[in-house]
Amino acid sequence: MTGAARGFSSAWMLAALLLTGCARQPDERTGVVFWHFWPKPVIQPILDQFEADHPDLRVESQQLTWQSGFEKIVLAFASGRVPDLCELGSTWVARFASEGVLTALDVPPDSLRQSVLLSEPGVYRDRVYALPWLVGTRALFFNRALFRRAGLDSGRPPETWRELLDAARRIDALGPEIHGFGTNAGERHVLYKKFMPFAWGNGGRILDDGGTRAVFDSDENLEALEFFLALAKASLIEKQAVLDQVFKEGRIGMLLSGSWNLKSIPEDAPSLEFGVALVPRPDKPSGEHVSFGGAEMLVIPAASDQPDAALELARFLAEPDQAWRIADEVRSVWPAARRAEERLSGLGPEAAVFVAQMQTARTPPADPRWVEIEAAIDTHLERALYGRAAPAAALGDAQRDIERILGS
Amino acid sequence: MGGRERAGLLFTAPWLLTFAAFGLFPVLFSLGLSVSRFNPTHPDAARWVGLANYRELLTDGTFWQSVGNTLFFAVGTIPFTTAIALAMALLVHARPPASGFFRTALFVPTVVSLVVVSLVFRYIYAPTGMLNAILSRVGVEGRAWLQEPDLALPAIMAMDVWAAVGYYMILMLAGLKAIPREVYDSAEVDGAGWWTRLVHITIPCLRPILLFVIVINTIRSLQVFVEIVVMTQGGPLNRTLTVVYYLYETAFYKLRMGYGSAVAYALFAVLFLVTLVQLRLLRFGRAVGD
Amino acid sequence: MKRTLVLLALVFFVLTTLVPLVWMVSMSVRGEAVLIRGLGDLIPSEPTLEHYRAVWGESAFARFFFNSALVAGLVVGGNLVFASMVAYGCARLRMRGSRVLMATVLGMLMIPKQVTMVPLYVLMSWLHLIDTYGALTLPFMVDALNVFLVYQFLQTVPPDLEDAARIDGAGEAVVFFRIVMPLIKPVLAVVGINTFLVNWNSFLYPFILTASEEMRTVPVGLALYAQGQYSIDWGSLMAGSVLSVVPVLVVFFLFQRQIVSGLTAGAIRG
Repeated sequence: MTGAARGFSSAWMLAALLLTGCARQPDERTGVVFWHFWPKPVIQPILDQFEADHPDLRVESQQLTWQSGFEKIVLAFASGRVPDLCELGSTWVARFASEGVLTALDVPPDSLRQSVLLSEPGVYRDRVYALPWLVGTRALFFNRALFRRAGLDSGRPPETWRELLDAARRIDALGPEIHGFGTNAGERHVLYKKFMPFAWGNGGRILDDGGTRAVFDSDENLEALEFFLALAKASLIEKQAVLDQVFKEGRIGMLLSGSWNLKSIPEDAPSLEFGVALVPRPDKPSGEHVSFGGAEMLVIPAASDQPDAALELARFLAEPDQAWRIADEVRSVWPAARRAEERLSGLGPEAAVFVAQMQTARTPPADPRWVEIEAAIDTHLERALYGRAAPAAALGDAQRDIERILGS
Repeated sequence: MGGRERAGLLFTAPWLLTFAAFGLFPVLFSLGLSVSRFNPTHPDAARWVGLANYRELLTDGTFWQSVGNTLFFAVGTIPFTTAIALAMALLVHARPPASGFFRTALFVPTVVSLVVVSLVFRYIYAPTGMLNAILSRVGVEGRAWLQEPDLALPAIMAMDVWAAVGYYMILMLAGLKAIPREVYDSAEVDGAGWWTRLVHITIPCLRPILLFVIVINTIRSLQVFVEIVVMTQGGPLNRTLTVVYYLYETAFYKLRMGYGSAVAYALFAVLFLVTLVQLRLLRFGRAVGD
Repeated sequence: MKRTLVLLALVFFVLTTLVPLVWMVSMSVRGEAVLIRGLGDLIPSEPTLEHYRAVWGESAFARFFFNSALVAGLVVGGNLVFASMVAYGCARLRMRGSRVLMATVLGMLMIPKQVTMVPLYVLMSWLHLIDTYGALTLPFMVDALNVFLVYQFLQTVPPDLEDAARIDGAGEAVVFFRIVMPLIKPVLAVVGINTFLVNWNSFLYPFILTASEEMRTVPVGLALYAQGQYSIDWGSLMAGSVLSVVPVLVVFFLFQRQIVSGLTAGAIRG
């Protein structure tokens, strides 16, 4: 080899060596790799406490972004390089569980249901695959000042569909810049969360009790959709962030939104007079105040080699005292443990409404194909919302899509 | 093997290795994925399915809608980006005072991360955002730019042009500087007007740069992705669904990575053909020194 | 008259360019969180530097900046040298199959990253390179576009100087580094800018391929710090973005003459 060539190769090898990173100091403790979505200042104190309580364990924490974090989780499973404990949205657990890539937890489903909220999405084929960690729901936010201007009683938020529609129309008529209601569109994973509460409250379902047949094009769902579309005519139709913003500006009468507003409204719009109420129910006697419930859950991938330590960490994280540290910071969720509800109620009348709403909150069916079903529902609901399909046709198309998804 | 060739191999060896590992291997692997059924959460269950994915593409309405959107995006941005970049370059080239400041100012959008630009424009386009506020000052009614099915994609296209022009302007500016003054002087003597000079002197002299700009712009705009993720996620009504976004949703959210790869290679085939046609049409072959 | 027109047109372009950017800077120095509505809101009543302090202090921004700068430096340097080497090998040293290689190289540009992400991640994981500087640099050391650019440029440069040097007895390395590299400076300017811009703002791969906070680059660090589930910390995000953009601009402003003249010299040959 010529001198230059030797020079090249050694330079190359040196560069390669340098780039493969420095060796880490050996650590006697067992490492538990934990993937989650929370910022360091919020999660680190919890993890430090855990390490103090468990001197033989060390947590390697990795924060994921809400926007791209899910891809990273998928990559982890695809490459086999999985964390020991991972935070996963409740709508995803059934899918991963059905693929057999999650560890079944040694917890009986019934006892879990008694101690925590929203445990159903984590149960697949009668075994528990996920521990609920943080939960949230949606309720009706209303602007008291706009109510007064429209001649409505600002202390009596609408309880039934008729009252809701009436209030929305009256407020919407107040002026070109004022809207009666806020309807979501233009984003993934949101529209069905705002429609299904009305459908569920009317007795409508997506799948039947056995979870095998689609029953989406029912009369109850049609009534709910027609009501929803009537409401949309008196609404601002926009993305969630915009709706929240315009509500804070005092230009939307009512909105279905989440408890994060309990923190952000006092911060961004302290002079806004608002209240929170249960999602209005259909006028008929069997109508219920139902809402959507979602949970951040903790799962242990089957390929993890520290399942016991991971379970220790999961239980620790789910303890109300620990979970409250996150909930206090973001307010969009609160701990899944039932014991935690007292404290939430104590935070104020608005928070108490959320607690009450959670009693009748429903989660979507824990079906492995849920994400595709959700996409089909969202697509056709949006078509109805934009006037591209009549309500019955939209439901029919969605029903056919769901049947196809279930059948394949 | 002659000495020259051995040296050639040595020169390219380190890169060939990196290329083989980090470039070729992923491509071949994903090509293999496109003829398989691959659920990324369950890689062991991968199965060979031959051309089934490609056959499914042919009847996939959503895929074809994404193709239409992507083509619309490309055809709707490339001419504007090129023309505006050229206009800006011509203006800066005319040596106004403080041209250094103008050059830098017009270059700034390119330096900001596209994610941040998309987030900022998501708020500028909001019904209560800056664009509507400015329009109402001049008496034009504000619209829900990202929410109306017919307006969402054009709004994103406008943002894309805004963000990309500065970079191409710099390239064209360089090209303009390379044209010798004498060419223009003799044209002026012949009585050629401003437009004639532009069409018959400037543009032909800029052909290599223009070609580069158009080819690169095509390759990038047919793969538009980041803006869609941040601003509309393919909606409303799938009117902003682009091919790469569709592939990403299919691979990571529907967990059908095999089918997603097939979408990617369908796009690749189109891009390859389009680029070949562009290179042939704009007669790049001559510069390759045959 | 003509000069005034030119000036007016330029001012118009600059205004349309600057409005969103002024929005960004304004959000970064704004105390309250209310989003800007109209042009009148652009200038905040009480500007504050708290977001800058927060981003720099709380989010380990200095470390992200260092990582971004180091990675960008390595990748740009690597491309300048190695991309040129390969292009030179193909163009001059008559390697077999160099045209096929060029076509392949150009083709690689047309394959979306989203689909090669999985195999690349698997490979990196297998090589134990995840969360190292290696993962952030090695796959990007030689970019297809840069090889193509240098190759095209070399087609227009006559090999006389190199042949003369070889006749004088210089080895290939000397020919490459002493003769060829200075000759291709113009296209190297393009390679440098291209590579730097793409790399500095790159998010997806740095996010996927790193795990720990110490390894984050600016785009990743900012996203993790400022983007919440239902809300965005606009002040911090904008402050971080401004911090990320300003050094690049300062360098550009100072060196723009050189950059443009470097590009110019190579422009006519494309």
